[in-house]
Amino acid sequence: MTPADLTVGRAATTSSSADTACAAVPASSVALECSNLVKTFGVGAIRALDGVSLVVRSNEFFTLLGPSGCGKTTLLRLIAGFENQDSGTILLDGNPLDGLPPYRRPVNTVFQSYAVFPHLTVAENVAFGLEMQRRPRVEIAERVDEILTLVKLEGLDERKPSQLSGGQQQRVALARALANKPRLLLLDEPLSALDLKLRKEMQLELKRLQSEVGITFVFVTHDQQEALTMSDRIAVMRGGRILQIGTPEEIYEHPTARFVADFIGEANLLDATRVGSRQFRLDSGTVLEAEETGPATDLVTLVVRPERAFLAPLGGGGPAACIEQVVYTGSDTIYLVIFDGGLRFRVRAQNSDALGSRARAGDRVGIFIPASAIRVLAR
Amino acid sequence: MNGSTLVPPVAPQRLDLWRFPLTRSVAIAAFVYLYVPIVALVVLSFSAGDSSLARWEGFSVRWYIEVFNNSDMLRAMRNSLIVASAATVAGTVIATMGALATSGPRFRLQTAIEAMIALPLIVPDIVAGIAILLFFVLVGVPLGIFSIMLAHTVFAIPFAYLPIRARLAGLDPALAEAAADLYATPSRSFRRIVLPLIWPGIAAGAMLAFISSLGDVVISYFVSGPGATTLPVYVFGMVRMGVTPAVNAISTLLMLASVAILTVSYLLGRRFQ
Amino acid sequence: MMAVLRRVGLLAPSMVTIGVLLIVPLGLMAVVSTLERGSTGGVVWGRHTADAYVQFLFERDLLGRLVVNTDYLHIFGRSFALAAITTVVTLIVGYPMALWIAFQPPRRRMLLIFIVTVPFWTNILVRNYAWILLLRNDGVIDWMLIKLGLTSHPIDVLYTPFATGIGLTYSFLPYMVLPIYVSLEKLDRRLIEAAFDLGADHWRAFRRVILPLSLPGVIGGAILVFIPGLGAFISPELLGGGKSMMIGSLIQQQFGQSRNWPFGAALAFVLLVLVLLALSAHTARYRGHGVRR
Repeated sequence: MTPADLTVGRAATTSSSADTACAAVPASSVALECSNLVKTFGVGAIRALDGVSLVVRSNEFFTLLGPSGCGKTTLLRLIAGFENQDSGTILLDGNPLDGLPPYRRPVNTVFQSYAVFPHLTVAENVAFGLEMQRRPRVEIAERVDEILTLVKLEGLDERKPSQLSGGQQQRVALARALANKPRLLLLDEPLSALDLKLRKEMQLELKRLQSEVGITFVFVTHDQQEALTMSDRIAVMRGGRILQIGTPEEIYEHPTARFVADFIGEANLLDATRVGSRQFRLDSGTVLEAEETGPATDLVTLVVRPERAFLAPLGGGGPAACIEQVVYTGSDTIYLVIFDGGLRFRVRAQNSDALGSRARAGDRVGIFIPASAIRVLAR
Repeated sequence: MNGSTLVPPVAPQRLDLWRFPLTRSVAIAAFVYLYVPIVALVVLSFSAGDSSLARWEGFSVRWYIEVFNNSDMLRAMRNSLIVASAATVAGTVIATMGALATSGPRFRLQTAIEAMIALPLIVPDIVAGIAILLFFVLVGVPLGIFSIMLAHTVFAIPFAYLPIRARLAGLDPALAEAAADLYATPSRSFRRIVLPLIWPGIAAGAMLAFISSLGDVVISYFVSGPGATTLPVYVFGMVRMGVTPAVNAISTLLMLASVAILTVSYLLGRRFQ
Repeated sequence: MMAVLRRVGLLAPSMVTIGVLLIVPLGLMAVVSTLERGSTGGVVWGRHTADAYVQFLFERDLLGRLVVNTDYLHIFGRSFALAAITTVVTLIVGYPMALWIAFQPPRRRMLLIFIVTVPFWTNILVRNYAWILLLRNDGVIDWMLIKLGLTSHPIDVLYTPFATGIGLTYSFLPYMVLPIYVSLEKLDRRLIEAAFDLGADHWRAFRRVILPLSLPGVIGGAILVFIPGLGAFISPELLGGGKSMMIGSLIQQQFGQSRNWPFGAALAFVLLVLVLLALSAHTARYRGHGVRR
């Protein structure tokens, strides 16, 4: 199997294993399937990957999200072929990649350090993969022009990388990978070295590019904002394991693990005990009613997003609290409150009018938490 | 008049913080000490008489002419160049392979291997010369150009290894991975990406090896054979016999050659930065 | 697996070359030092004896008894002393030089270091021969001293241990200057400025801040001078004459006119062991230092 065989557009060979992995997804639209990947470094020391399985669909923008050390980069390197797994399989379009060296996998990578070849011009960098595949020179020249225009680097083809800015070098790395029309594009925290404004621009730019070229992206980041902005689906990882896979909405609104709730966005995490099918008592004594019953345990953690709770007049419904601190962030105001029982809580209110904050530090208020805002997780 | 007088402001003394006392004088004295012998050597090589300032007889290049008419010396010079070239090529290739092997993730025997590569630099040249001589004699290798080449190759290896290794260490490991990611097989990746990027290190290493081979006296002295001497060994023989003005001339020439090679490489190095 | 094979293949040429052409010969040398001396030079294979090592300290008198012979000890002692003195002198001269260069503006520094290194690259023979020209009777130094009226007749300097010392110092000065310069150049200037700011004068700043921080460079330079100095051959041969023999010349003699190969091999072996001991003591100490920092 050569990279040429697997360019976009050719039918993928069907494989029965795809049926079991992802019941709702038809076989032909699965681009990548990882099953039970285990990887240890050193002599049986730490498991960088501890039985990881996932399915990535064609033309999807899929993100691996997690704190440093969670294994996301290791997983990416296994897919690219720079490391080999201890056990488990990786299937690309139904074909196993195991044992294939990187130069025989129709997968390309955008590195965190860009790894742009300093002794070659921009055009030579972009053409490199095509040259290695021995494409005819005319085809290479056309393709290079095409892709440089796509990433908005026209006119810079004769420059050397040292003459480019960080953002431009990053685009060269991107163009160099995309030029080969890989089945899968792997991106290892490519935006982490850019300053904030450029980073936000590139996030949208990458998203646009992905849908335009129709290539499956597997993106690695530790920045949950970035993941929420760009992804079709996210896999949240921690300690070598996948905690949850879902769309940004699913992950945000319906986290299935405490860590996921805490890692994505802000969350109030309240430990509580079940006192009814949908009633839960907090340590402070207050009983909250949720819309969902949650897992079949008595010890639970309630997750409430700060923007879903509201300040209310005392006694008007909801537990009483004292405002500890008011933080103005321009578009929002954050109220750090302490419940009468001692629990800390955060309320985020949008500053939709210019009237300023509704309350001040030291005020006693009620906190209204709608039943629909409470997620129930096992403790 | 009132009691107080206006004291004119004294200009603050320009204290150069970085000027440590005595260092400048010692440094200048040391520079003089370093260069006086060389200057004297060059000047006396042009002396028409017998290299003595006390009996100066005027300028002349006759000793230079004598050097170029000395066929033994010319042969020795040719031998030196042949030996140095062969040892440099062999040593640099071997050193490049070694540097490629030791760069990358550390492996178990790495310290031992690097110690072994450094060994020729650690062993005193007398000891090495004797040992290699004994080896050649007892194994039956005839002492001649070839034996010198073998000995010099051993020493060329660590000299070439150091700059190449340093250059490899500075290379982003992601570059080789990127090449593989872009469908380059290991040999193509080496030829198109790694080799061009470490080339300055290889060139520097080759030059170090070449110069050290050209200048080697002790090892060559022990492993050379009759009729197959290198230039330093030949000059050593001449000098031991006493001061001949021709030695001045050849010494000056040797020195000029070293300085020329060095200056060229220094300027080239500046240009690459 | 492939990675291991590749590494082995890449390392094989260097390991084989150095192994066969240096390590095996060194081992052979050790063996030769235990063999019996041949009657016309060379060795007698298969006849082992400790004669060579015994000869180092003892000799036989007319009655065949062993008597202590201090000649060779003197030679070793002289070599040690000369190497040590050379190290000290190059340090005293080299440190201020390195300090001055290190505190020059950056562009000038590169140029100055280049100027320091140039003599180092000329052939060692040339460097020592130039001193013959200077030191011999009617040489340049004599000529200058007489011209300046400081003496009336030539001074006998050549072919003395003093001349050897001058040759060694001259040859090894750059080996001392460069490591010290490197460690001074890397020094964080702000530390020195802090010392000045806290009231130290130049001398104190040097003694309490600069010197301790540059110690690795000093030690590196000392090693680079002392160890090759012990085994020096050219300087004593050309400048020392027969009177101040050092280890190097003694060894060479055994393979030349004395035709006592086992003894020469034994001397070389002892020198090698001393050098390796000194180096491993240094690296062991430095591994400790590194951790402490």
